[in-house]
This record gives sequence, structure tokens and C-alpha cells, in this order.
Amino acid sequence: MTIVTGKAEARRKLQPGRSGALRKIWAHRADYAYVLPAIAVMLIVIAYPIYYTVELSFFKTPPGLQLRDKTFIGFDNYTTILTSQVFWKVTWNTLIWTLGSTFISFVLGFATALALHRDFIGRGVLRAILIIPWVISAVAASYIWKWIYHSDFGIIGAVLVGLGLADQPPNFIDNVSTVLPSLIVVNIWREFPFAMIMMMAGLQTVPDQLLRAAKVDGANAWQRFWHVTFPHLRNVSVVTMLLLAVANFNSFIIPWIMTGGGPSNASHIWITHIYELAFGRQRWGVASAYSVLLFLTLMTLGYFYVRALSGNERKEGSA
Amino acid sequence: MSTIAETAPRAQTRRRMRVDGWRWAGRIFLVFMLLYTALPMIWMLITSIKSGFAATQFPPQWWPDEPTLASYQKLLDPQNSVGQDFLRFFWNSLFVSTVTTILSVIVAVPAAYAFSRFSFPGRNFLFFAVLLRNMFPAVIFLVPLFILMRAIGLINTHGSLILTYLTFGLPLAIWLLKGFYDNIPVQLEQAARIDGATRFQAFIMIVMPLSTPGIIATAIYSFIGAWNEYIYAYTFLSKNEQLTLPVGIQRFFSENTTDFPGLMAASFMMSVPVVVLFLVLQRYFVRALTEGAVKH
Amino acid sequence: MAHVVLQDLVKSYGGFKAVNHVSLTVNDGEFVALVGPSGCGKTTTLNLVAGLTPITSGDIIIGERVVNDLDPKDRDIAMVFQNYALYPQKSVYKNLAFPLQMRKLPKDEIDKKVKEAARVLDMTHLLERKPRELSGGQQQRVALGRALVRDPAVFLMDEPLSNLDAKLRVQMRSEIKRFHQDLKATIIYVTHDQLEAVTMADKMAVMNGGYLQQYDSPAQVFAHPVNMFVASFIGSPAMSLIPLQASTANGNTVLTGAEGWRLELSPRNAQKVARATTKKVVLGARHSTIKLHKNALPGSVPAKAYTVEPTGDVTFVQAFLSGAVVNVSVPPNIAVAPDEQIWLEFDQERMHLFDGETEMALKAN
Repeated sequence: MTIVTGKAEARRKLQPGRSGALRKIWAHRADYAYVLPAIAVMLIVIAYPIYYTVELSFFKTPPGLQLRDKTFIGFDNYTTILTSQVFWKVTWNTLIWTLGSTFISFVLGFATALALHRDFIGRGVLRAILIIPWVISAVAASYIWKWIYHSDFGIIGAVLVGLGLADQPPNFIDNVSTVLPSLIVVNIWREFPFAMIMMMAGLQTVPDQLLRAAKVDGANAWQRFWHVTFPHLRNVSVVTMLLLAVANFNSFIIPWIMTGGGPSNASHIWITHIYELAFGRQRWGVASAYSVLLFLTLMTLGYFYVRALSGNERKEGSA
Repeated sequence: MSTIAETAPRAQTRRRMRVDGWRWAGRIFLVFMLLYTALPMIWMLITSIKSGFAATQFPPQWWPDEPTLASYQKLLDPQNSVGQDFLRFFWNSLFVSTVTTILSVIVAVPAAYAFSRFSFPGRNFLFFAVLLRNMFPAVIFLVPLFILMRAIGLINTHGSLILTYLTFGLPLAIWLLKGFYDNIPVQLEQAARIDGATRFQAFIMIVMPLSTPGIIATAIYSFIGAWNEYIYAYTFLSKNEQLTLPVGIQRFFSENTTDFPGLMAASFMMSVPVVVLFLVLQRYFVRALTEGAVKH
Repeated sequence: MAHVVLQDLVKSYGGFKAVNHVSLTVNDGEFVALVGPSGCGKTTTLNLVAGLTPITSGDIIIGERVVNDLDPKDRDIAMVFQNYALYPQKSVYKNLAFPLQMRKLPKDEIDKKVKEAARVLDMTHLLERKPRELSGGQQQRVALGRALVRDPAVFLMDEPLSNLDAKLRVQMRSEIKRFHQDLKATIIYVTHDQLEAVTMADKMAVMNGGYLQQYDSPAQVFAHPVNMFVASFIGSPAMSLIPLQASTANGNTVLTGAEGWRLELSPRNAQKVARATTKKVVLGARHSTIKLHKNALPGSVPAKAYTVEPTGDVTFVQAFLSGAVVNVSVPPNIAVAPDEQIWLEFDQERMHLFDGETEMALKAN
């Protein structure tokens, strides 16, 4: 009895606040019409799959997507994953892939943006050429580089042999120790232009007055960069690196097309591994549990992403 | 007097040398990046005009002895089966990308406008929820979406791709456009409303024309994203006549593994539309990033 | 033209009241300036009148109509914005024509009116230019023209001059004043610059913290500020406000400064001080009503000069007195050095006295 009255009281207390919020939402009902289409699409294609993935991760599923026959097995899928050796191997690969690609892409992109910041003849053309790899399909890029790395007719191998640096063409992507770095080179090739565009846009916002003031104060080129330009680009840099990190963490096409994760899992990263588990070996439950783990990792990254973004917003509000 | 005369030129040369040091480092670096960027693409082009025999020589022919456009002719000839497939894939990609682009703009423009202008309860939550879509890999959604699409009968249709691609492009599109709308003074709309326009007219007649660069940038982004997408097309489509270019090419060349000139020619032709589109409209894109993402 | 009445107007955002029970009447053909520091609610008030912001409660009447729920386009108003709000993609001609097009006027009539407005504002040669090709002053004139072509019941102006440089501002000030006199237009003009309000307006409404502080002619507001806020906001340099302690001995009322000096008040001023709620009284004096002496004359109080700013025809001296800064103007031939000991004499007839607690002006009888 006491519980019931307690609840009833709590509800009564809640009432004014809730109806206030409802009234507020009702007052803005026309505004929602603008965002409704976007939200609806997002709900269908995002919210439902997330829910479904979480559900599936607690089930043992027969192959062939006969999902009516699934059986509840609790956290078994998760223990299977976390105790498997492949998981740790793949996680290590993912870490190297993501951090290596992100960091080098960013540094190369930023450096290119700085080098392009000064006006010279042909700057526009050069910039356009440098952006092209980012625009073309990753499938095309994978094939181009697969051909470049080819163990018999690849141009890099031929050059190395021609210069006497190797007796026979090295096998870049069929070798456990060189495959991941080789793929990272391809990934950077496609990604540094993004960092370059972002940082070029950022450089335009560095106030010229500050740079001139620093010059007057006796700062040299490096000091001006370090004390004025770089701090000003801190937010853009964080956002760029986070976007790159997420994109790299989620990349699939380059390893999938170039190596399919091989040889002996040396170039498998989480995404390709999940794909293989699901669509290759039809282990939907395990793949779903993997996805949930991935999801949690990304939510952590996402937290920083949103914080970096809203940090910018707050700054703007105070300005 | 004499001290000034002696020290002045020395200080000058030292300064010039230091500036030159940075400039030269920059130039050398740019040359390196240019080679890194361009050489693979050049090698693609050179390979594409070789014969199958010329491509598989060691050491490689730096320039083909007998350049030939045979690979291109084969891909573009509707009479043979290779050309038929390639042209159909091309058309499929064009269709899917164009429809995706148009829908993206239609959905993103009002949403971005609302996020920029109105303050309704849950606005920030919804905005970040939309942005969070950027965080998730395609693979997470693949299994459930595959099941969902199968349930609503969209598997093996272009509709399944269009619906999915829409959600790729939307977050960034909304984000970029919001930046644009944030930069358009609200007074312009107020002036228009006082001058006799309704809120909707003010949006259509004043705000829309001003955000054209943003809309163009959004459209390019959606188009390129849809054109290049691979995983969903690879998973959702199984019928040969529906494949888009990335999947079609992959499937075709997994059967003809040694036709490298053909593969390079196909890769080149697959890249042409998006590269041309981007190069023509890149200034809008860079500007949109500046206004939307960076100043934000 | 029409009159505008605001009745008990309130605008609140959540718990925050940006406009707090404001009532005022703008008569037909009157030029009223809403003036106050930033964030005082003046622009919000203007937006409420324009219909750009929905009101929380109260009434707005334009002409004979209550316009509370009407769209901006149906209120028969024109507005000039601080950043001009010219449509950047349209030429000057099209900017001027836009409000007429929206009212579906015939083409030839639009053309006639646009050209007439351009002629009046002397910008016929600019008609084909885009706004970004114009100077600030020209843009301002186009914005004015766009308001003018409509022949609206009321003109609303939101700090139209504050983006212009000082010289142009003075010139446009007289142009707008002339414009008002020629058209006999009803104008509500928002500004944070009290000088603009004083020089142009028939009446000024001083706002602070969402409240209407005082609504009267500039001369009245200047001569009889109702409280310390208005007193300090109107006039340049600002009125000096000196917190003092009142006491009465032998029938005489005396104000005592923090330094211990005493100032005996005239009977009329003593009457005012008698109405104060506490012994705390604030003495207000404009720079021109204070005399500066180099030695201690009867009725003067000792102070120390702090800064001396010659401006040509007068020299402004700032001095510290009872913890407040006092502005005094002296003829340029009187040399005062910083840190020099000086004596100040207040004009009993023209001094203002405020209640130290309520900050309201004290009145005799």
C-alpha cells in the first residue's frame, strides 16, 4: 500500500513538469516537421539495426539466416570472442591500422596544407591533383595499388630490383610482416587529402593580425607556427583526427579487396573480421556480439567527438 | 656609422637564408607528395593502354611498345558481353547516386535549416544523434539491415541502396548546411518577412539562393559517397544486371584475374565522373568545409 | 501613418523576462527612440512590434488594429536593420522592388515607385549595383529606401547607424531626421547611443533590464532623470554620482562626504533629502554645473584632480570625491595638473539628489 501511494505521489509531482515539457514540445510542433524526414530515415536505418544487433548478440544462430531457430545463450558469444586468440590478433591489427593511418594522414595533410598556404603559380592545380585520391573509389584505389604491389609485375618490386636493392621483387601483400604497413600506405594515400582540406580551411581562419604581432615580437617562422597557428587550429585538428580515426576504424574496402584479411589474419581488422564471421561463416550471433563490442568502443570515441564539437559550439556562443 | 654599414647586410642575408630554408623544405615536401599522389594514377593510365601481354612483362615496360585503347573499346562496346555489363553497371551507379543525391538535398536542407534557426526541445540531442551516425561502421548495420530489407522486400533492388546511402550522406550534409545557415544573418529573413513574405517564402526566395554553394557541396558529397559505396551494394545485390560499378568490377575481375589493363581501364573510367564532378565544383566544397565545419 | 500603443507588453524566455510590462504610446508622426545599454530589451521590444518575435502577454496596437497575432507582413510596417539586411544576391533595384513585388503591385507601378525612392535618396546611379559593391553609407541608404517605397504605417529602425563610421553617422543622423520631418512618419528607433536619441527623437524611452525607466522628451529626460540609471545613461560625459551621508543639525540639512567634508543644502534641496528612505543620499551633478576652484571658497569641497583632458574648447577634469569619479569641465585657460588639490562647488539649483537605497530621484513636495 505504502509503495502505491508513494508512486502515486511521485507521479503527481512529476505531472506539472512533464506537462510543461509536453506543452513546450507542442508549441514547437511546426519546427519538428523540418527535421522529421531526417530523423525518420535515421531511425529506420540506425535505431532498428542497433536494437536488432544487441538482441542477436545473445543468441546462438543457425547458418543461413533461419533466425526463427535461434536459441538464447546469454553472454556466451562474448566469452567466445574475448577468449579467442584471433580476437586479440585482430584487435592489435586494428589498433596499428587506425593509429598509424590517422596519425600519418594527419601529419602529411597538415604539412601539405601549410606548404600550400603560401601563394605560388600552379597552386590551385597542385591542390586539385592532391585531392583526387580522396575522391576516387576505394575499390579503384585498392586495385591500382594491388597492381603496384603485384609480386611478379608490380612496379615497386621492379624498381627495387632495378636499383639493386632486392634480388627478386618482394611480395608486399602476401607477407605477414609487410602486409599491414603496405595497406596503411594505400589508406594514407586516400586519406591525407581530407586532412589537407580541413587544415587548409582551418588555416584561413588564423587571424593575420596575430601572425603579424608575433612577427613584430620577434618570433621566427617555427615559433609563429608553434605559438600562434597551431594553438588556433587545435579544435580543427581534434575534429579532423577524430573523423579520420573513426573512418579508419570503420574501413573495410582496402583490406577486403586487397587481401581479404590474409595472409593468416595478418591484415584482418575488426570490420573485415566481423564481415567474414557474418557473411562468410554465417555466425550471426558471434558477429553481432562483435558489433556490440565495436559499438561500445565507438561510443567512447564518439563521446570525445561530440565533446570536441560542442566545445566549438560553446566557444562560438561566447564570441 | 661604420658598424651599421657592416652589420646590416649580414643580418639581411641571414634572414633571407632562414626564410628560404622553410620555403625549400615546403617545395621538396610538395614534390614528394605530388609523386606519392600522382604516380599510382599515372601507372594506372599507362597500364590501361597496354596489351595484356605487355602488362605482364618483367622488367615492366615503362611506356608500352604498342599503346592500345583496346581495353577501353572493349568496356565501352555494347556489342560484346563485357561492354554490356560495364555500361549497365555504369548506368546503375549513375541512377542510384543521382537519386540518392536528390533525396539527400531534399531531406537535409529543411533539417539543417531547423537545426540552425529554431530552438525546439531536444534540438541539441537530435543534432548530435544525427552526427553520431558518422561514428558507426557500415558493417554494424549490415546484418540487421539485410534482414530488414529482406523483410520489406527491398533486397535486390536499388531502393535498398538509396535508402541506406541517404543515411551516410545526411549527417555531414546537415552539418555542413547548418554551418551555412548559421552564417546567413537572420535579419535577411526578418527583412523579407516584413517586406511581405511568409516564413516559407523568405526561406525559398532569400535563404535558399544564398545557401546554393552549401547545397552544391552537399550534393557532391552525397553523389561521391553513393558512387563509391561498396559494402552494401556487395551485400544487398546479387543479380548481375543490378550491380553498381565497384561491385560489378570486383565480380568481373575476380573471374578474369590477369586482365590488368582491363582492370586499370575500368578503374579509370569508374573514377572519371566523380573526379570531374569534384574538380569542377571543388571551390564550393572547400568553401562549405570552411564555413560549415571549421568556423563552426 | 498611424500611432502605436504598447500595453503591458511582456516577453519571457523561460523564467527570464526580456521585456517586462512595458507600456507606451507613440503618437501619429512621432519619432520615438528606444534607448538603453545592450541587453536592456530595446531590440526585443522592436521585434515584438514587428511581429518577428511572438509576445508572451500584453497588447500591441498599430493604427486602430490589435496586431498581436498578425504576421509581420500584415502589420503594415517597414524595418531598417543594423546590418542593413540587404539581399546580397539582388541588385539595388531588386532590393527596392522586393517589398512591392511581395504585395503583387503591377510592374509599371513598382518601377515608378522604385525610381521615385531612388531619386529621393539620390541613388539613381546605384540601381544596378549589388549591395557588396556599395559603401556602408550607400547600403544604409538602400535599406532606408527599401523601407520608404512601401509607404508603411510605421517605420521601425534597429540601430541603423551603428555600423557606420563616426563622420558618416553624424551625416546620416541629420538625413534621417530630415526624412522624418518631410514624411511626418511614425518612427520607432532603437539605439544604444544616447546622443542619437537626444538629437533625433521627439521622445525617448529609456530602458534597462527589460523595464521602461522613463518615457519623455529628451529635454525632460535630460533635465529630470527619474532615477540614477537614467541620470548616468543620458548625457556625455556621464553625470557624476557621489554617495553621501545626510544629517540634520540646527534645522540645516548637511551632506557629509567619505573624506569628512560637509556640504550645506539649500532649503529646497533639504526638502528633497527629507523624503529619502534612509540617510544615504546620492548627489548627481553634470560636468557643466560644477565649478572648479584653486582654493577653498565657502560652499566648495576639497578633491584631488586625477586626469586632465583638454578637448580644445573645454578641458575635462576628473577628480575623486567620496569614492566616486567626478567630471568637471573648465575653460581651457585654467591649467590644472594631475594630483593637484582642487575645490569643487556644486550648483544647488541644478544638482540632482537620489535616494541611496531606492536609487529614485528625490522630489521636493
